[in-house]
Amino acid sequence: MDPAIRLRGLHKRFGDTIAVADLDLDIAEGEFFSMLGPSGSGKTTVLRIIAGFEQPTSGSVALFGRDVTALAPFARPVNTVFQDYALFPHLSVIANVEYGLRVAGVARKERRAKAEEALASVRLAGFEDRRPHELSGGQRQRVALARAIVLRPQALLLDEPLGALDLKLREQMQVELKELQRSLGITFVFVTHDQDEALTLSDRVAVFDAGQVVQLGTPREVYDHPRNPFIASFVGSSTLLEPDVAARFGLPAVATAVRPERVTLDGADGGVPGTIAEVIYTGPEHRIVIDLDDVGARITALEPNIGAGRRRSRGDRVTVSIDPAAAAPLESDASAA
Amino acid sequence: MQLGRVARIVLGAITLVVLALIYLPLGVVFLNSISTSESLSWPPPGFTLEWWGRALHSTGALEALGTSVVVGAIASAIALVLGTLAAMALSRYRFFGKETVNLLIVLPIALPGIVTGIALNNAFRTLMGVDLAMWTLVVAHATFCIVTVYNNAFARLNASGTRLEEASMDLGAGLFTTFRLVTFPHLKSALMAGGLLAFALSFDEIIVTTFTAGTGVTTLPLWILQNMFRPSQAPVVAVIAVILAVVSVIPLAIAQRLTAKDAEAVSR
Repeated sequence: MDPAIRLRGLHKRFGDTIAVADLDLDIAEGEFFSMLGPSGSGKTTVLRIIAGFEQPTSGSVALFGRDVTALAPFARPVNTVFQDYALFPHLSVIANVEYGLRVAGVARKERRAKAEEALASVRLAGFEDRRPHELSGGQRQRVALARAIVLRPQALLLDEPLGALDLKLREQMQVELKELQRSLGITFVFVTHDQDEALTLSDRVAVFDAGQVVQLGTPREVYDHPRNPFIASFVGSSTLLEPDVAARFGLPAVATAVRPERVTLDGADGGVPGTIAEVIYTGPEHRIVIDLDDVGARITALEPNIGAGRRRSRGDRVTVSIDPAAAAPLESDASAA
Repeated sequence: MQLGRVARIVLGAITLVVLALIYLPLGVVFLNSISTSESLSWPPPGFTLEWWGRALHSTGALEALGTSVVVGAIASAIALVLGTLAAMALSRYRFFGKETVNLLIVLPIALPGIVTGIALNNAFRTLMGVDLAMWTLVVAHATFCIVTVYNNAFARLNASGTRLEEASMDLGAGLFTTFRLVTFPHLKSALMAGGLLAFALSFDEIIVTTFTAGTGVTTLPLWILQNMFRPSQAPVVAVIAVILAVVSVIPLAIAQRLTAKDAEAVSR
């Protein structure tokens, strides 16, 4: 079966800047696919090329096996939820949602019914006659969603749709997005710079850096086995160990990333001795920074806050060990690129 | 900022003097239009509505009013179409020489009217070999009317960016449908303001008009100029001047309100 979205040799240049560099990507049908990266990494440009707002300098875009590279946005079977929602300010909520059906020539009664259904599916029934400026950020977000899904697109493109919402609302919308995607069964392509969001929502994540996909995999693969130092530090937090330090822990002598929650203190098999430099209380856990003896390196460990029991404090002596299965050997930046 | 008592009194006095200098003469024109003295002697010996009645029955003045309205309306209509198209092109597309084109469109408003007048007069008569008529006047007025429409539309389009148009196309609307359903409604009040300003500019224009109106084509300002120094006409001229002032100021006031209201809506 053809993938929902197939990008081949995609290249985009703005003047002297290369926004996307020779990108190949297949996104499967029904997949929740995230493009994760810092701003300027090219992820939004790729989304805009899929939607048809930007023409690639070279390369091709195929949707369900059909080459759409030369097609205008209105001729593509995808819809977009914009970062700032881009609701039409002069139209009511229901008219915004009906817009796509209206330009497609759907009869008034039918499009009204479909639009009301879409509004209900994003829990906005009763808001039909409001104007966009009378809504809260979260409500506008839902209108933008309803406006896009009412057209039953084959893929929905979402450009940082939750970026403007506050934390509580964002978490709630994450759940709703996931449920919506499951019930619609269509491909979601989700652009975000928030690694939490990408890990929580996605079936697969593409990590972008400098116009390229530097790692592609399930959230677990990307988190547990970051390929290079950039990914290890951008997705979650890691301690980067130099080759000689890794060797002290009995790991292969290459640069290695270790997640703080996978570092064991005072394990049964001993380990590398060190002194606690800092204990940071974060609520659910303690973040403990240890100065390792003789190698002159620091490592961070996380211990759950289990209430009673022994408290660690500055200056305590500990031994540090790392499960070889939990360490991620890194490729050098050059080989990863 | 807190001002001292003396400073406030001095500033207030200066403001009063300046405002008085602007508006007292206007008031005098109005008083003259209802003065019983035909030679406009001061102070007015008495008041009458005779001149207003005469002005409203003066064929010359009424014809001039009609000419001014027609010229202003057609010139504004031309400006609306061309100014909108130019604003769309310059705000939505990148092309070679864009900045130059922008400058060339806006320049006529800064050019001295007498230069525009002479240039157009020469172009019409010697270059194109046509006689001056009503349409030459309309074309001449359109050159500077375009500027107000273009400026208003261009500012609105630049402020809103392309996001709404992208959203429209993303939802399946083609270029023309997008213009009809999204761009135009969004531009409407800016175009209204621009068009009204254009009309006001045209309505009281006299320099370019002098050089480009055909014989027998008399706009209101031209009529005033021609009749001002005829002794018996002086009070009627005052009446027409008051009408001219009112007709010019009303569109300006409406345009300003439109722009202010929209700036509010956009910033929300």
